[in-house]
Amino acid sequence: MILQTALLIGLVIFAALAILLRDLLKSAIALAVASLLLGIIFFRMNAPYAGAFEISVVAGLITVLFVLTIALTKTGEEVRESKLVNVAFPVVFVAFIVIDALVMKGLIGKIPALAAGAETGSFGDVLWKARTYDLVGQIAVILAGVFAVLALFRKREKND
Amino acid sequence: MTNTWYLYVFFAAALVFAGILGLLAKRNLIKLFICIEVIGKGISLLLVATGLAKASLLTAQALAITYIVIEVSLVATALALIINIYRHTKSLDVRRLAKLKG
Repeated sequence: MILQTALLIGLVIFAALAILLRDLLKSAIALAVASLLLGIIFFRMNAPYAGAFEISVVAGLITVLFVLTIALTKTGEEVRESKLVNVAFPVVFVAFIVIDALVMKGLIGKIPALAAGAETGSFGDVLWKARTYDLVGQIAVILAGVFAVLALFRKREKND
Repeated sequence: MTNTWYLYVFFAAALVFAGILGLLAKRNLIKLFICIEVIGKGISLLLVATGLAKASLLTAQALAITYIVIEVSLVATALALIINIYRHTKSLDVRRLAKLKG
């Protein structure tokens, strides 16, 4: 449990770094490390499929997409961020963490566990039989994403 | 619910709040998108943790994978949009988008 808590703390720290770091490349890498930690947390929670997807897709593919976008938009002028943010963000965030901890401590034992039937079968059974419509939705979403990217990058035709 | 579940909810809430705070404070479009990703991480942590607490981890994993697939599609579309916006305005500053000049 101690290792799991340390991983969770690392996850929050790297996520905050991804938001706070000024260099975009560094914040993309911090986000990738946060994804990696989340993947390890999933593995330790006995959720290997979600962990494998998190590490391969989110830490791998999405980071590549971010780095590519940063490389393609690098020549422009630097966006001037408000200076107040670097001071206000950590203060407000720490205040929220304290309130969050107090609320969670007060809530312990007060939320009743809802009844849930024990699951049977393997992950494949659940994914392919119980959540078939999710898979159809996923295919539709991927297709929508592909067509959206194609539409956004289409070249101007001669007749236009 | 088990005591471990509250620990996961605590960290998931911290991630979601950090993301929302970043969305409110930052001006760079890519940075804003990184904030949305951070919120998404909190949500997927909460999904799997609740599945673990309710002994329905397989369904929770199926939902987490669905979320990850949607996330990839969203990232690809949004980054393509950001590149187009950059080509149009030569800047990643979100305040420039407020101008309604064509």
